Amino acid sequence: MGTPTDAEANGSDVISALRLSQRAPEILGHGPASNAYAASSTSAPDTAEEYGRIEQLLLACLRTGDDQSAQACLDRLSHRFGPSNERVMGLRGLYQEAIAKDQLALEKCLVEYETILSENPVNVPIMKRRVALLRSLRRPFDAITALVQLLDAIPTDAEAWGELADLYQSQGLGSQAIFSLEEALLVAPNSWNIHARLGELLYVCSSSSDGDAARLAGKSVQHFCRSIELCDDYLRGFYGLILATSRMLDHKYAAESPSDPAVPSRKTIHHLQSFALGRLENIIQSRSVDDQHWASSRSDLIAAKELLNRFAQSK
Amino acid sequence: MTRCLTTSGKVRLLPSAATPRPTRWPPLSFHQPAISPHPGLSSAMAIQGVEQTILRDPALFYWILFPISVVMILTGILRHYATVLMNTPPKSAATLAESRERHALLRGVNLRNHACSVLDRESFEARRNYLVSGFRSGAFLKDPNNRGQPPANPMTDPAGMEAMMGMLKGNMMMMIPQTLIMSWINAFFSGFVILKLPFPLTIRFKSMLQTGVMTRDLDVQWVSSLSWYFLNLMGLQSVFGFILGSDNSANQMAQQVGMANPAAMMNPMQPGQDPDKLFLSEAENLEVMEHFCVLNGVEERVLRNFARR
Repeated sequence: MGTPTDAEANGSDVISALRLSQRAPEILGHGPASNAYAASSTSAPDTAEEYGRIEQLLLACLRTGDDQSAQACLDRLSHRFGPSNERVMGLRGLYQEAIAKDQLALEKCLVEYETILSENPVNVPIMKRRVALLRSLRRPFDAITALVQLLDAIPTDAEAWGELADLYQSQGLGSQAIFSLEEALLVAPNSWNIHARLGELLYVCSSSSDGDAARLAGKSVQHFCRSIELCDDYLRGFYGLILATSRMLDHKYAAESPSDPAVPSRKTIHHLQSFALGRLENIIQSRSVDDQHWASSRSDLIAAKELLNRFAQSK
Repeated sequence: MTRCLTTSGKVRLLPSAATPRPTRWPPLSFHQPAISPHPGLSSAMAIQGVEQTILRDPALFYWILFPISVVMILTGILRHYATVLMNTPPKSAATLAESRERHALLRGVNLRNHACSVLDRESFEARRNYLVSGFRSGAFLKDPNNRGQPPANPMTDPAGMEAMMGMLKGNMMMMIPQTLIMSWINAFFSGFVILKLPFPLTIRFKSMLQTGVMTRDLDVQWVSSLSWYFLNLMGLQSVFGFILGSDNSANQMAQQVGMANPAAMMNPMQPGQDPDKLFLSEAENLEVMEHFCVLNGVEERVLRNFARR
């Protein structure tokens, strides 16, 4: 079992979420697990880290279906911060959505959110829950409306902009999605994952639009490059860079000798592609050796290998 | 108790066995130097002259020096917890419009600071035009109709009233203990010489170290009880940091410094401030901004920096 920091670092993946939630009894301190830890956690410090961990645990438990431990976490949080705390309200809503059996129960949650919001219109966690619930009820346009309303009030929330971009993309509204991701990047300009995400989005848009395709593909390459510049072993960045450069080469978007010096020439794009291929190969080799550590991104590795194979065959 | 002043300038306090109580200093009458109309002359003499010796009763330590220090530390801790208890968290926005008013400025600042690493020229221009026209027209204000009117009187505005109450509470937390302890020390311990510093100091420190002891000839190394109180008041910050953690509110000096320098802890939307003015100045900042983009030429840069290795 990895150390807790390991598990937290890869928290977005199901395996580590499961590992984390299996530690619930010892963290909550009422299980048969380790009495020593239980004794220390009854006198656990009343710190922000402690409650942050309990919140993480709650999310992990909900993902893995351990509703009882989730209830225990929630009880502890609402005991400490009071049931009227906004964040606790949001988590309670999340819990109720998770244990909802059918559509009807979810609708009931939605009604509950709306009553809460009519009392306090700026309850941000509940606003976000409402958007997520509308989305899972398959009402994306209502979700977009609600999210736009939220972002109108709080335009500096990168998470919400990212979600809006995702919603727009799911509805096929490419340019709106690009705008939203750019806003998210304006809040967090150095996050390489959002840069790579924007690159992916631009790449997808360039395949669907006709007139603007060359410009979008060029921007996509730029954002992938920026992402690599910020994190020089980011697998998704290299993967996307290979795809974007090969599209530029295939469709002859890059001129042999461009008039504007800022625009890369065909030769540069070609260099970039071979550089990205080499680096991706290195990354795959080093991560395949250290398999356990990169367990959470195994699917990424497989996809990258497949891409390299495709390139090897085409040559 | 006997007291004698020797001709060589030595001051002696001879505690007699019958009176173990702390010695009171200065005496009711004190020998003045015969010819010294100028204070600098006599103090120069005190520094150059033979070292002064004062025999202090050890009880001075147990009954004055120690109690003052302990009381100061305890008041600091008490003040910290009282401040924590009485502190009201800043009120979050009540309506969506109010929240927008608070965040709009931040959005402008974000665009100004981060546009260069994200946006190309077109999308930058679009955002800038949107924000500038919004700031100019007052679209981001809580109630655009009230624009241009002077801010409401803080006495009648409930939010302003609350902020003032908060400030008043903070001031009270500072004033009351300070007044009480100061008068307590003045009533019980004034006029004692309780400490000798192990190093020499210049005459300028006399007013700092010998408050309440009205002698001109006493060497600067001697510290009076009232001055010990002041030294504690100023210098216990690190002790509180050790006991209570670094972000404590025990030391009133730190709070006073904070008061004197409000720009250091100003949040963008203080109650008495007119957001419209802030918006207008931000619009101006955005308008004069020169755009460049780090994404231009990023391809060559990546190749140059990473591919060679």
